[in-house]
Amino acid sequence: MHIPDGYLSPQTCAAAFVVAVPTWAVAANRVTRVVKTRNVPTLAVFAALSFLVMMFNIPIPDGTTAHAVGAVIIAIALGPWAAVIAVSVALLFQALLFGDGGVLAFGANALNLAILMPFIGYGVYRLIAGRSPLTSTRRIAAAAIAGYTGINAAALATAVEMGIQPDLFHTASGAPLYSPYGLSQTIPAMALAHLTIAGAAEAILTGGVFAYLARTDPARLAATHRDIPATAGDAPAPRARRLTPARMTLGFVALMVLLTPLGLLAPGGAFGEDAPHDLNLRELGLSAIPAGLAKYNGFWSHTLLADYGFSDGQHAGLAYLLSAIIGIAVVAAVIFAISTLIERVARHREVGKPETA
Amino acid sequence: MSSAVQTRRAPDWLLRGEAGLGPCGCGGTRRKGSFLEKTLSGGAGLLRQVMFSEDVAGRPGLLQRLDPRLKAVSLVVLLVAVGLVHHVSVLVGAYACTLVLAAASKLSIGFFVKRVWLFVPVFTGIVVLPATLSIVTPGEVVLPLWHWHGAPQGFTAQGLTTAALVVSRVATSVSLVVLLTLTTPWTRLLAALRALGVPRIFILIIGMAYRYVFLLLGTVTEMYEARKARTVSGGRHDRAARRFVTASAGALFGRAGHLSEEVHMAMVARGYRGNARTLHTFRLAPADALAAAVVLAAAVAIYGGDLLLGR
Repeated sequence: MHIPDGYLSPQTCAAAFVVAVPTWAVAANRVTRVVKTRNVPTLAVFAALSFLVMMFNIPIPDGTTAHAVGAVIIAIALGPWAAVIAVSVALLFQALLFGDGGVLAFGANALNLAILMPFIGYGVYRLIAGRSPLTSTRRIAAAAIAGYTGINAAALATAVEMGIQPDLFHTASGAPLYSPYGLSQTIPAMALAHLTIAGAAEAILTGGVFAYLARTDPARLAATHRDIPATAGDAPAPRARRLTPARMTLGFVALMVLLTPLGLLAPGGAFGEDAPHDLNLRELGLSAIPAGLAKYNGFWSHTLLADYGFSDGQHAGLAYLLSAIIGIAVVAAVIFAISTLIERVARHREVGKPETA
Repeated sequence: MSSAVQTRRAPDWLLRGEAGLGPCGCGGTRRKGSFLEKTLSGGAGLLRQVMFSEDVAGRPGLLQRLDPRLKAVSLVVLLVAVGLVHHVSVLVGAYACTLVLAAASKLSIGFFVKRVWLFVPVFTGIVVLPATLSIVTPGEVVLPLWHWHGAPQGFTAQGLTTAALVVSRVATSVSLVVLLTLTTPWTRLLAALRALGVPRIFILIIGMAYRYVFLLLGTVTEMYEARKARTVSGGRHDRAARRFVTASAGALFGRAGHLSEEVHMAMVARGYRGNARTLHTFRLAPADALAAAVVLAAAVAIYGGDLLLGR
């Protein structure tokens, strides 16, 4: 995941520094404002810790071992701004002492692993954990999911940074100057590795360390969990559940709206999306439409709004909008159903479980 | 520092591969290292590497003599110049220059080449291999391997150029960074970064973090050694192992917290009020001015030479 020098153009590296440098400045400022003298020793020790956490090998369920980054657990315990500095320093050590990650690419690596990862992970953690007590299973699950989401967000950012290189920078004859793979290749490759092995390592570390701290050393979590009760019994007053299935659904739909521009970034269309006759056969080096494609294309034609239009082909714009609304409604209904189910199961387990103090 | 480091090193017997006694009785087959061995050998490797770097940085050589500020700025200038090159020949030339510099700085060439190539460029070579084929990098097919509906497919000129460009660029960049870090003691490098305008709070954090990496590493090594000493059976117990890893990371988290509080109190007791002063000052020598001129000339030669070869 650490990008070495030579994979990104100097222009891309400069752009990453433009984002990273002000973030470091704000982070230093934010952390300094809280306690004037304590920040240096605290951040130094946790930067050292972050560096060492990247060395811990964790056995993954598939039989291999992998190491985690630890940015999300630091963000959960100390706050995302402190995590920015701690992980940046750890990355600097790796770049300068071990050549793991480049010097010009340091800005890009810091952007992915020390800025995006703790902030996205922390956001997911807050969203899922809500106001549940410190030792609840929900909070531990929230930490694990936050770690998983955080590392995958960082991987996506890395894939995008590398994937834009061949289109932007190539020689006159078309040979890419830097990382040669396009977005359509880097994103699946990074996703495959991080949705499985690296994501599992991060989820195990984040969830496991959080569970350990909440159980044995809750004072370490005090900075970011001020009003959170330790156990269900300590809750000050029963509040309305913050993460209702309805809110979950709204959140997912909002997330999808935010992700819509990805479709514009992706080059070209899906292979043979509309009709096999539209394929540019010569460009693909084909002489005819592949037999299987011709046979199974149109295999399922019993659709309500074929090609996002009415069957009589009238009112194309209206039909397109209607298709979009129906699609969103169906996805929202499915998410709502799943969240309701999860909530039921969680409530059932909470009732069935004996109180532990 | 080095003697303190030495005492905290993981003992060699812990790091040796175990001879497995397989059911076939053939013996001698090595077991796949467990998470314990991997973590322990990772920690020991880290210490060995850092100690060795400090050793080399103390030797008298060409680059060791130069001002660290100059070296840091030169590194960035040369990295950008190398980053902008479009021709493999220019990159190969620049790489040859790094070898000359390594020799002039009393680094063993064999060690330098191994240190540079073993990790990143070899990995890069494997990663860019598929990009030489026409399925990833379309273009002029120079070595057809198979045909796809009449069109020849195989290595393309563009793909091979890309692979050569990426690998040589990565190798040259890594060489430049390794040259700086192997010839500059860590403390002087930090002082140089401060002199170049990196805010003091960052320098303090980086410097202290470097110090505490070794202290915390000692704690980690002890935890893992104790675990290894208690481990009797050879089977895998992933669940228990995961519990152990997360609990030790959590325990380390707690210890780091205590440590930072103690260090903070000790600092305040000694008069720390939120800003630090340093004693070290740098002086630019005539040799540094000459070196600056050489670096500038090299950067111009790399970029200009590349422009002359055509875009």
